[in-house]
Amino acid sequence: MLFTLAFRNLWRNRRRTLLTLSAMVASAALLILALGVFSGMFRDMLASATEQYYGHLVLAKTEYHERRDMFAHLDEEVASRYITAEDTEIIGISPRLRSFGLISLAETSQPVELLGVIPEREKQVTSLQTKLIAGNYPSEAVNNGALIGQGLARKLKVSTGDEMVFVTQAADGSIGNDLLIITGIFATGDSRHDNNLVLAPLGWAQKIMVLPGRIHEVAMTLADPMLAALTADRLNPRLPDDVEILDWGDLLPEMREVIAAYDVSRMIIVSILYMATGLGILNTFFMSVMERTREFGILMAQGMRPWTIRGLVLLETCLLGGIALAIGLTCGAVMTLYMQQVGIDLAGYITPVTYAGGTILPRLHAVFEAGNFYVPAGMLLLVSLIAGFLPANRAARLDPVQAVREV
Amino acid sequence: MSLIELQDVSKIYRLGSQEIPALTGVSLTFEAGEFAVLAGPSGSGKTTALNLIGCLDHPTSGHVIVNGLDLGTASKKALADFRLQNIGFIFQSYNLIPVLTAAENAEFTLMLQKVPKPERRAKVRKLFVDLGIDGLENRRPADLSGGQQQRVAIARAMAADPHVILADEPTANLDSHTAEELLELMRRLNREQATTFIFSSHDDRVIAQARRVIHLQDGCLADDLTISK
Ligand SMILES: Nc1ncnc2c1ncn2[C@@H]1O[C@H](COP(=O)(O)OP(=O)(O)O)[C@@H](O)[C@H]1O
Ligand SMILES: [Mg+2]
Repeated sequence: MLFTLAFRNLWRNRRRTLLTLSAMVASAALLILALGVFSGMFRDMLASATEQYYGHLVLAKTEYHERRDMFAHLDEEVASRYITAEDTEIIGISPRLRSFGLISLAETSQPVELLGVIPEREKQVTSLQTKLIAGNYPSEAVNNGALIGQGLARKLKVSTGDEMVFVTQAADGSIGNDLLIITGIFATGDSRHDNNLVLAPLGWAQKIMVLPGRIHEVAMTLADPMLAALTADRLNPRLPDDVEILDWGDLLPEMREVIAAYDVSRMIIVSILYMATGLGILNTFFMSVMERTREFGILMAQGMRPWTIRGLVLLETCLLGGIALAIGLTCGAVMTLYMQQVGIDLAGYITPVTYAGGTILPRLHAVFEAGNFYVPAGMLLLVSLIAGFLPANRAARLDPVQAVREV
Repeated sequence: MSLIELQDVSKIYRLGSQEIPALTGVSLTFEAGEFAVLAGPSGSGKTTALNLIGCLDHPTSGHVIVNGLDLGTASKKALADFRLQNIGFIFQSYNLIPVLTAAENAEFTLMLQKVPKPERRAKVRKLFVDLGIDGLENRRPADLSGGQQQRVAIARAMAADPHVILADEPTANLDSHTAEELLELMRRLNREQATTFIFSSHDDRVIAQARRVIHLQDGCLADDLTISK
């Protein structure tokens, strides 16, 4: 019956309750949307770094991680020795051979980073195949087909089908050089990759570097990038001493910090926004308690304990919080879903920004992340409880004699 | 042992530096089954006396002993629990919780006593019949007349089987006909069910119905008459 009483009390001043409720719903829903968009931004940033280049985990000799020493190479089957079908969180494995060299065409040459990859495997780790603006991704069929970035293509004034020469140092001390045919051009928005990166078949790279059957690293993709550090910790003990798996947080420490800071900033943003909402709730319930002074006096005269009175008012605020939460979460989820499916393209207004090793794309796009729901949800209930506590106390401390006298 | 004993009870209200003596040195006893009225003009201390008897307030000095217990220094919670088990209160008007139906209002004390729902329902249904308000169970207080509201308040007070029902000017807001009916009802409950009633009034016609009239004047006991009928 206390619940019934609390629920009916809520709707005594329908307009006031609805106003407070809508403020709570709006703050919860907008917060959820905003956090979803923030998460989307960070996801974009992280994805730009991992899905365009690193992967979530990279296995290589420690020496290679540290110095990119071209002689710190591994057997190209190395991954299959340490990673089994039971490591289900790993959903993509791509062996790579890396070579720094020059690409030239006629009298222009450009320094580039060439990754020798197995195209079908690399597609599981990076997603340059989705960033093509011309031609096709290299395939096994063309043994010297290359994928280059838009910036590089512009500088060299080349397009798909053109041939160019790659020159680099080979492992035997000689100078390796050979022809590449441009099969495709990608554009990621990140100038470092667009100006520098070249993807070529692994076999071709091994031949030019005179490193048959060898690779420098194995890039891996995980189902959940946030579990990268944990997975690396789990896998590393299996590896020989001179081989190590680094996660994206090790490779991009700034990105790790930015994302860790987000958890803190999320709390701060939520707190600030809810402070205002909390004051609204406080005001509503103070008014409602004051208006009901005599009624509380009568309840007390009947033998209702002060704590029960307090509980009644708290129940009312929590009920309001619960209703606001249910509606707010739904609205927030719907708006987030819209922003996830459709989003807003800002490409016409701003250009991509490179930050903390990743690229923030010129778009508003949301992702679903549990924390973006339970943090605002939990805080809203907490705020309702805190904002309810003062008026509840006020009601519980009323002197029944005075309260009953009030008309 | 008397049901209620007031021993040299005084109550002084403080308004800033001002001291308002509402009750001065009042000694009274009430026995179970009484039908007594506290009479006196407005401001004579009737409400104060009822609040003290009902353990809603502590006296400034003296003792109030109800059912053998002196709750002089008891906590608010202990007082509330004591009232719940022993005292029924009826006020002048607006006694009921507006968002609850008549039956829910009457059930309220039983709910606080944690009486199971079916038992609550049955008891209240019977009381409503006894008090002549059956059929009004699902009305909200706003849809009841003043007399009906007071009857629901009596039902609520009686539901918990208290030792005494205290009614502070229960008829003051009713027309004379309805007031008489309500008083008649209270008398009947007193006679048939031995419910102890102590009520206050400044209306001579109401006072004339009581079996014991306690006159208060400026917070002092002026007269205590038991009328044998
Ligand atoms: N809460 C209070 N604060 C100050 N004075 C009060 C308070 N309650 C009652 N009084 C004073 O005490 C006296 C007795 O009041 P009350 O018991 O209400 O009399 P009655 O019910 O007979 O009208 C009056 O003079 C009244 O002004
Ligand atoms: Mg009075």
